[in-house]
Amino acid sequence: MMEGACIKRTRKSINIFNTTEEMAPAYKLTYFPVEALAEPIRFLFSYGGIEFEDFRFDRENWPQMKPNMPFGQVPVLEHNGKVAHQSIAMARYAAKKAKLVGNDEWEDLEIDAIVDTVNDLRQKIALYHYEADAAVKESRKEPLFKETLPYYLQRLDAVVKANNGHLALGKLTWADLYFVAILKYLNSMCGGNDILADYPNLTALKNTVLELPAIKTWVEKRPNTDM
Amino acid sequence: MAPAYKFIYFNARGLGETCRFLFNYGGIEFEDIRFEDEEWPQLKPKMQFGIVPVLEHEGKQICQSIAIAKYLAKKVKLAGNDDWEDLEIDAIVNTVYDLYLKVLPIYYEQDSSKKESLKEKALKEALPYYLPRLEAIVQKNNGYLALGRLTWADLHWASLSPIFDILTGKDNLAGFPNLKGLREKVNELPAIKKWIEIRPKTEM
Repeated sequence: MMEGACIKRTRKSINIFNTTEEMAPAYKLTYFPVEALAEPIRFLFSYGGIEFEDFRFDRENWPQMKPNMPFGQVPVLEHNGKVAHQSIAMARYAAKKAKLVGNDEWEDLEIDAIVDTVNDLRQKIALYHYEADAAVKESRKEPLFKETLPYYLQRLDAVVKANNGHLALGKLTWADLYFVAILKYLNSMCGGNDILADYPNLTALKNTVLELPAIKTWVEKRPNTDM
Repeated sequence: MAPAYKFIYFNARGLGETCRFLFNYGGIEFEDIRFEDEEWPQLKPKMQFGIVPVLEHEGKQICQSIAIAKYLAKKVKLAGNDDWEDLEIDAIVNTVYDLYLKVLPIYYEQDSSKKESLKEKALKEALPYYLPRLEAIVQKNNGYLALGRLTWADLHWASLSPIFDILTGKDNLAGFPNLKGLREKVNELPAIKKWIEIRPKTEM
């Protein structure tokens, strides 16, 4: 009995010095083996120093996994036995934990509005990229590159210029991390070019975020994927 | 004194109605500014990202219907009590919106035979996928879409879901008593009931 108690105490001591050894992270993020829509959540957890299990499943397992997801989609976030879905909702939650939100409801609205706008752009790009019919896809190409992309990127660039180098509130918020985290995905959907090439303020914002120590560390250690 | 909020949208329910429901639910005075379709081409360049609804408050303008609704929901105390509760509400709101986006192309399609095939697609794929899952959620959430109680997700459902029927020409909630009941329950809330009676009557 005494021996057992000693062993328990010893284990507890080890835990004090190396807390990750015995306990699983409080959060498990499940997604395809890519950045895409999970990356903002990964950025935000990393920024906030919040441990998470970055679970990336093999693509061939997806058909079996899909029916078990709340609405057949990933990413999902597991925490305390509950499962959440919807990437932007989860990013907002991670942002609150990482303290990259506004100081009041209106400030949060400003951040939310710009994130939703970035998401609108993503959806319009996705409408082109994921189109299965080659002729339809080709017909969407010119409007996307000649109209939609410039429309959004010019305005977003202007927002960053007017906001002290950030997307909202004149300071770093989760809108900045969200935007930079999905950039590789946007670029890859647009054929691999740097869509920010003509937009100096957005490019500067990208560098600002990538230079944040916690983000730099995450980018260095994360699996290297094309999107 | 003019109301503290100006809400600018088409003369339609559409994506603006969730916000109008929330204003009314919370008894928050707002200027309900509506314009007709013909006026939109001149107004569009004046909106920061060329979209409405737009909320004006204390000299600032902001767009994005879901973001505005989330802001109003906090004001009228229909949000969550903590970050995870807010996540649960946000997730279901975004899910309902995803379904709306899948059905919406029907509205924009001008070619009548393409329109018909879009209607069929929605009736065969998107609606049969989402509605049973939403129905199950309401059933196990005490008659609500999240947290077992009234949240702004329910007002969003009640204001947006009629569009599915309008665009497909079918009574999509016929086999889903919980979803139908929830919409009726929200429409019967005194402040919402009153708003429905006095609001401008529009097709969508």
